[in-house]
Amino acid sequence: MGSAVTYTESELVLGLKARNEKHFGYLYDHYSPALYGIALKVLNDEATAGDVLQEIFLKIWRGIERYDSEKGRLFTWMVNIARNTAIDTLRSKSHKMGQKVAELGSNALASDQLAIHPSVDHLGLVKVLEQLSKEQRVIIDLAYYKGCTQDEIAKILDIPLGTVKTRMRNAIIQLRNILKQI
Amino acid sequence: MDASRFISSGLIEAYVSGLATSNEIEELERGMAQYPEVRAAVDDCQLDMEQYVTLQAKTPKPEVKQNILRIIADEETAKENGTYVEETAIAFPNEEKVYVSSAWRWIAAAVFVALLGSLYMNYIYSGQINDYKGRYEALLSSQNSMASESNLYRTRLEQMEASMNIVKSPSMKAVKMSGTKPFPTALATVYWNQQSKEVFVMVNNLPEPAADKQYQLWAIVGGKPVDMGVFETGNKDELLHKMKSIDNAEMFAITLENKGGSPSPTLDQMYVAGKAS
Repeated sequence: MGSAVTYTESELVLGLKARNEKHFGYLYDHYSPALYGIALKVLNDEATAGDVLQEIFLKIWRGIERYDSEKGRLFTWMVNIARNTAIDTLRSKSHKMGQKVAELGSNALASDQLAIHPSVDHLGLVKVLEQLSKEQRVIIDLAYYKGCTQDEIAKILDIPLGTVKTRMRNAIIQLRNILKQI
Repeated sequence: MDASRFISSGLIEAYVSGLATSNEIEELERGMAQYPEVRAAVDDCQLDMEQYVTLQAKTPKPEVKQNILRIIADEETAKENGTYVEETAIAFPNEEKVYVSSAWRWIAAAVFVALLGSLYMNYIYSGQINDYKGRYEALLSSQNSMASESNLYRTRLEQMEASMNIVKSPSMKAVKMSGTKPFPTALATVYWNQQSKEVFVMVNNLPEPAADKQYQLWAIVGGKPVDMGVFETGNKDELLHKMKSIDNAEMFAITLENKGGSPSPTLDQMYVAGKAS
C-alpha cells in the first residue's frame, strides 16, 4: 500500500472511469486481498486463484463504465464479479469439476478445507469459525463460494429442499451475531 | 408480501448468500424498491457477508499486480494508437448477475446429485487413469521418436564409418576430378581400390540434377569411354557411391545424362574429369 493518499469510494470510481492508473493501483492495493481470498476459497488452488484474480481486475478495469453507484457499493459490485468469475472457472474446467465432486462427496461435511483456508490466521475468522457450527459453515460456503443451488445443497446435506432456505437463514443470522461481537 | 414478511422469510439471507433463484431475486428486488426497510435489511446483511469475506482476505503474489498493470498499460497505449480491439462483448456476458440457477441447472443438478456416488468414483479414478494414460502415451511417443531418431543417427554413422573404412584402405587411390570449362566449380573424387579394383565416387560439389536426369561416371580406357554406372546425389549421408569395378583406366569423367544413363557420354554435359595416372 505505502501511499498516504486515501480516496473515498466516489473519488475512486471517478478516477477509474477517467482511466486513471494511479486510482487503479490504489484499488488493487486495497481490495486485492479480499478478492483473492474469494478466488482462493472458491478454487482452493493458489495458481488458478492468481490467474482468476487477474481476470477479475481486468473485468473491473474494463467494465467500470457499467458500475452504477445507485445500485450498490463498489465493493459489492467487485465481490460479485470476483465470485462469478471464480465460480465460472470452477464450473468450466473439467478437472475442477472433478475437484468439486470430490469436495461435495462424502467428505463435504468432514472437510475443513471447504470452510477454512489453512493459511488464514486472522483472529476474527478463527472466532467466527469456532462459533459457527460446521453445518452452518458448510451451507454458507457451498452457496456463497461454490455457487451451489438450493437443490444441490439439499442433496449434499441430505435435508429436505424446503428447509434449505430456513437453514441458510439461521446460519447467516448466527454468522451476523458472531460478527457483531468481533 | 409486506416488509416484515420479507425480512423474516429467509429471502434476504438466500439472496445475500447467492442461494436465491431468479424468481426469488425478482421478488426481493421488487420488495427492495417498494420498502426502504427491506432495502436497508438487505444492505446490512450484505455488509456483514462482506465482512465475513474480508476476514478471509489473503495477499496475492506481487506478480499478479505487475501483470495486470502491464496489460492495462498496453491496452491504454493501444487505445491511443487506435489499435485496441474491444473484448467486452465476450468478456462480460453477465458480470452483475447474482449466481442463480436456470432451468438447465436445475435439471443438471438433479441428475448430477443422483449420480454423485458413482460420479465421484468415476471422476476420481477415470481422471487419474486418463492422467496416467496421457502421461504414459506422451512418454511412449517421445521414447519412440527418440528411438527412431537414434536409429537414424546410427544408420548415418554406420554409412559414414563404412565410407571412412573404404577411403582408409592403403590400396585406395584417389582421383580428383575438377570442373570442366562450362562447370568450373564442379568437383568430384573417384576412389579406386588398386587391389580389389572397386570404384567409388564421392561428390564434392555437383549441382542437384533435374528429376529426369542422373549423373553417370565414365572411365576412359584406351581413349574410349566405358560406362561405370549412374548414381544419385540426393542422399547427403551417402558419401561414397559404389560404381562398377574396372581394372585400369586413364581418366574418369562425369556427365549428366537422362535417368538410367546413356550408352555413350553427352560430351557437352561433362561436368568433371580427372586423370587417373
